[in-house]
Amino acid sequence: MSTSLPSEEVARARADLYDLLSRIFDGDQSVLVEAMESGAFVEFADVFPEEFDTDALSRQDVDPEGLSVGYDNLFHVPGPYYVPPFASGHVTEPSETFESDSRYHDPGEAGELLGDPAESVAELYEQTNFTPERGEGIPDHVAAEFEFMAVLAAQEAKADQSAAVAENLSELQTAMYEHLEWIDPFADAVGEMDSAEGVYAAVCSFAQSFLAWDRKRLEAATA
Amino acid sequence: MSTDETPDDKPDLSRREFVKSAGAFTALSAGGAAHELDFTSLWEDDPEHYVGTDYDEYEASDVIHTTCGQCNTFCPIKVRLDDGSAENEEYSSLVRKLAGNPYSFLNTQPFAQVPYSSDFESVATGDLDGTGDIDTDRWSLGGGRICLKGQAGIQTAFDSYRVRKPMKRVGERGSDQWKTISWEQAIEEIVHGDDELGHRGLKEMWDYVPEDQVMADRESLSDAAFQEKYEDKLVDPEIPELGPKANQIVDVGGFRRFLIRARMFQGSLGTINSHHHAGVCGFSSVLGNVRSHGNKKKRQYTDIENTEYLLVWGTNPMVSNKGPTWLAPKITNAIDEGMRMDVVDPRLSKTAEKANTWVPVKPGADGALAMGMARWILEHDRYDGDYLRNPADGAASADDESTFSDATHLVAVEPDPEATPKAKTRAADALGIDGDRAVMDASTGAVVPAEEADAGTLEVDAEIDGTPVKSVFTLYKERVFEHDLEEYAEMAGVEVEMIEEIADEFTSHGKRAAIMQYRGPSMHTNGFYNTRAIATLQHLIGNFDWKGGQITPYAGYGTMGGRYELGNVPDGRTPWGLPITRALHNAEDFEGTRLFPDDEEDPYPAERPWFRLSPQHQVQEIYHSAQDEYPYSINALFLRTYSENHVMAAAGGDQITDALRDEDAIELLVTFDTVIGEMSENADYILPEPTYLERWENFGTYPNKRLADDKISHPAVRVLPETKLSEQVLIDMLKELESATGEEMPGVGDDAIVDKDGETWPLDEPEDFYLKMVANLAFQTKTLDPDLDAIDASKALPPGLDRDSFPYEDGPVPDADDGELQAFREAHENGLGEFFDYEAWKGAVKPEEWRKVVTVLNRGGRFEEPIPNYEQAFEEHGFDYDYAERFDPSNAYVGDKTRYRLDGEVTFFNEIMPVGKDAYDGTPFDPLPKVEDVTHFNGDVLTPVVSDEEPDRPLHLINWKPRTQGMTRTQNSPWLRETRPENPVWMNPADAEERGIENGDPIEIDAGRTSVEGMAMVTNGIRPGVVGTMWGWGRDGDGSVERTIDDTTTDAVDETYGHVPYEFDTPMAEEAGYAKGRGAGFAVNHLAPLDTTTQDVGPSDPVGGAQSQYDTHVEITRRTD
Repeated sequence: MSTSLPSEEVARARADLYDLLSRIFDGDQSVLVEAMESGAFVEFADVFPEEFDTDALSRQDVDPEGLSVGYDNLFHVPGPYYVPPFASGHVTEPSETFESDSRYHDPGEAGELLGDPAESVAELYEQTNFTPERGEGIPDHVAAEFEFMAVLAAQEAKADQSAAVAENLSELQTAMYEHLEWIDPFADAVGEMDSAEGVYAAVCSFAQSFLAWDRKRLEAATA
Repeated sequence: MSTDETPDDKPDLSRREFVKSAGAFTALSAGGAAHELDFTSLWEDDPEHYVGTDYDEYEASDVIHTTCGQCNTFCPIKVRLDDGSAENEEYSSLVRKLAGNPYSFLNTQPFAQVPYSSDFESVATGDLDGTGDIDTDRWSLGGGRICLKGQAGIQTAFDSYRVRKPMKRVGERGSDQWKTISWEQAIEEIVHGDDELGHRGLKEMWDYVPEDQVMADRESLSDAAFQEKYEDKLVDPEIPELGPKANQIVDVGGFRRFLIRARMFQGSLGTINSHHHAGVCGFSSVLGNVRSHGNKKKRQYTDIENTEYLLVWGTNPMVSNKGPTWLAPKITNAIDEGMRMDVVDPRLSKTAEKANTWVPVKPGADGALAMGMARWILEHDRYDGDYLRNPADGAASADDESTFSDATHLVAVEPDPEATPKAKTRAADALGIDGDRAVMDASTGAVVPAEEADAGTLEVDAEIDGTPVKSVFTLYKERVFEHDLEEYAEMAGVEVEMIEEIADEFTSHGKRAAIMQYRGPSMHTNGFYNTRAIATLQHLIGNFDWKGGQITPYAGYGTMGGRYELGNVPDGRTPWGLPITRALHNAEDFEGTRLFPDDEEDPYPAERPWFRLSPQHQVQEIYHSAQDEYPYSINALFLRTYSENHVMAAAGGDQITDALRDEDAIELLVTFDTVIGEMSENADYILPEPTYLERWENFGTYPNKRLADDKISHPAVRVLPETKLSEQVLIDMLKELESATGEEMPGVGDDAIVDKDGETWPLDEPEDFYLKMVANLAFQTKTLDPDLDAIDASKALPPGLDRDSFPYEDGPVPDADDGELQAFREAHENGLGEFFDYEAWKGAVKPEEWRKVVTVLNRGGRFEEPIPNYEQAFEEHGFDYDYAERFDPSNAYVGDKTRYRLDGEVTFFNEIMPVGKDAYDGTPFDPLPKVEDVTHFNGDVLTPVVSDEEPDRPLHLINWKPRTQGMTRTQNSPWLRETRPENPVWMNPADAEERGIENGDPIEIDAGRTSVEGMAMVTNGIRPGVVGTMWGWGRDGDGSVERTIDDTTTDAVDETYGHVPYEFDTPMAEEAGYAKGRGAGFAVNHLAPLDTTTQDVGPSDPVGGAQSQYDTHVEITRRTD
């Protein structure tokens, strides 16, 4: 029987995966291609409880140019394939946890731009002195949030964590999991728009599965 | 494989597998370990706040003065940058607020601006003594006036739908699939061509040869030799007059014309085709005024402060026409002080609301109203006979006038002076007169040169020495008397009594009555003659240059010369040939060429309109002309669509899309844009432009002000790092072209600019040009040099001046002191970050110029003060004092005259006009004002004025600029759309009732070729039979509408985009909602009729060149669905 896995090691691995997602959503196609070519995405299918598109993420014939065009049209180029890079901007169905005291948000109605969810995340960044490093001047909203998750996990991986810091990290991650519920409608939106290559749709569904797994992991650990 | 297992079931196994799987990615990840998080303030609440309770201190280093670009008023503005306290890694800086620039008189009405040489830091922070306190004075010069559109400029700059990187289309043109490319790739492909898109690149497209060489060779070479030599160098060696191959490179862009247009496209490439927006703007009004005055006069404006009777005609200065912030407060204050204002407009505009009398003229029949007024004035001898009898400068001066008219000048009446050019000159020749103008001396009856008579005879109809002649006044009168007052009233759709009343009023105030006129009368195919008829009314009272009369000061300082001769491109190319819009040439000049395939003796009708007497800016014609190859196709089209969205702005602009997508018509299509608009979405390459808050500009001054100014826009922030000024892109492109062709591009690179000493300077970056422009401006001087008689007559010379102080010279500007220099540096470092290089900017001018350059940049330009020694007077009197009126001479007035003047001749009869001919039937253009129908190119009546024909449908649809929008380009602002979320159709209750329509009803508007849905706004504020709406709505660019491509439908921009919840003074007590989306409403220009001959875009005025934009005839029904 093997010995128990140190939690720091898990945290480091989570940090790596979140950061990889951050890079991918920041538009680093070479990293995505390399990750796909490694075949490792498929292995997570046995780990994560929810399905994701393993076929698209294990393709070896992906055209980096096509991927680049796909990325640009999804996240950069205003137009028919564009998914707006703002918190809640893509929300067409309310998530259960989407709550806002704004007078412009009716329960059961669509989300809002620059509303409470976006503001609360921005506050978390500010309160923790976190500044997204990627983005060439304008951080991609999605990449920034995954980068933040990576930083939280990396912090968790440090061995000499005080109890107070550990608790803060746990609370921050809990807050972020709630916030990151936007991944569901976001993945739907990307899935709908990414009709050409389908790789980014698959990345989204992978991220969904990872987040669901990670959230349950934390919930189990703190239960 | 997936599983229902949760991590709880076998947590360690799951985690172990996870770590193992993730191991493959370790090398691809940074792992997030570089960040140090700080939890000390975690979960602390922000302090509560509501709107209006925040008070924010800021420093001069947070302020940059530049120019607004939200509409074409171009107000000087104050940009208040974030002071760095807000967390921001995305942009070079955030903008906290936009306000008016307190240095400028344009933004401080009705009060006085701050003195130009005041301490910069005190002005920037609003702390200058004498500038008012908002609590007690209801006014403060901390920031000047700005309108709602200007304040919303933040949303133009920080729009997330902006184009961020150069983009190349992936699919067919217009398929809206793009890939981002590097700037290097963009330049490389534009110059060298691209197989993927199938264009040859400028290297193959461009060539230039001088006109004199070509014409000499045509004389000396055989046809075959000529063809061989010029096959690749001319547009068409069969028709050398079309010009060099360079002409098939076409630039369309409204602004930055000094650098981009004059230096790059003209001076470097040598293309004749660099166009601005005039054809879809007020071109026919401009030309109507130009042809009515000897000296430069494009607009009709009045000296509002002293006007007793203001007749506003077809314009809405409370909202547009350089009005908001500037004319609006002047007008309301003048009314408050007793000025009478009447407004001619088919609808009750914001200006008409303030009028004494609203004159709801029939659209397009303005000429009839003006001629009716003229008839009453002539019949009742209400014109200024003394003024009209002055035949030249000398007599005018003796009569205390600065202008004179051609009323007494003799015209040869054989052959027909209305069909034969230069009838006045011919009369002088025939009568043996020295000079080119003959008059009949009023005292002797002798025919003499105009300069020799103290007064001429007004009414002449005689045969003198065998030459039949008439005076201009007689011809004008005959023209006016072709219809009686009742006929004019019927044509104009107003009561005879109303014409009498306004004609009476107009002629009851001596020189202190004047007309302000613009687009309304002129954007019809008869717009030129409508404008002529209105302009000449003012000739009758001779109100030019008088206090309270018609003003014309293009009062500026000048930016192109002085220290650096920026208009001089050393060894620059001279454009020549026929513009693609067929301007400045008559069709018959090309008789016998392929442009007239029938090759019969009569060259008419031409295939498309020609514009002999207007400059080449009939932009509405460009795209389909290329499609028809009439006269030629376009090899490369460069669009700067910021002010040139012709799909939205041209009548029938919806049809332009088809031409833009035609790769046979336009081989290469490059747009510079901030967002993907209706033009750009059809491009091959979209190159991301900075917005007006991020770039340079020198907007021209305009003639509605009594003092001089010259505004300088310079970058205050850089929102998106990969955008590039189009100037920079064009410099890079021309350098690459130079290297590719081996042909010099003289406007850019080394030795491109010559200074006053003959030294040359490079032009490698836009700053190399613009900072020298600022240096030119900084060193300009102005001299106030009134007659000594005027000084002696003064009862209040400006403070500290006496008789010997004149001529009084003002300028150059003072040097910035160390503190101001430091504030400048810090503000630009704050605002621009890495995009500001202090030493590079400083090095673009000479060391002795730099501090003056900073003075001008810090103030956003130069703004003339109302009097000499203003700072001294301001210290005593402060902002609430009318310095220009209290002292004499001031910088605005000398005695009863304006300081800046039109001078010279005003013309009833323009003898040049018959040089131009209508390209459909060869009819010469008429030298006199006249009334005529609005017609298609072939003469089919579109809107009857003189004829009895009926329009196709019963309701006449007009349009206007909304007060809440500057242009199509401001529709992206959620704040602005919140104030007016769509464009309802105004209908008179009589028309609505007849159709069973009530206010707010959904309606269908049938324009014949198409119909759209809208909403009715039933109001008495529009003339019965006329309906109207605001333009700029109904967009399908910028992601504003749902699109279906490849069976996939995608949503428009979320309607909540950019809106934030906001609080009023009573928190949570007021209701407000989101505006409608960017595509709200309908595009009124897309209902406009197409010309019956060209069938591709709306008809144009053959004389003035403007499009007919107010001549759509519709039927409206209530929708029941």
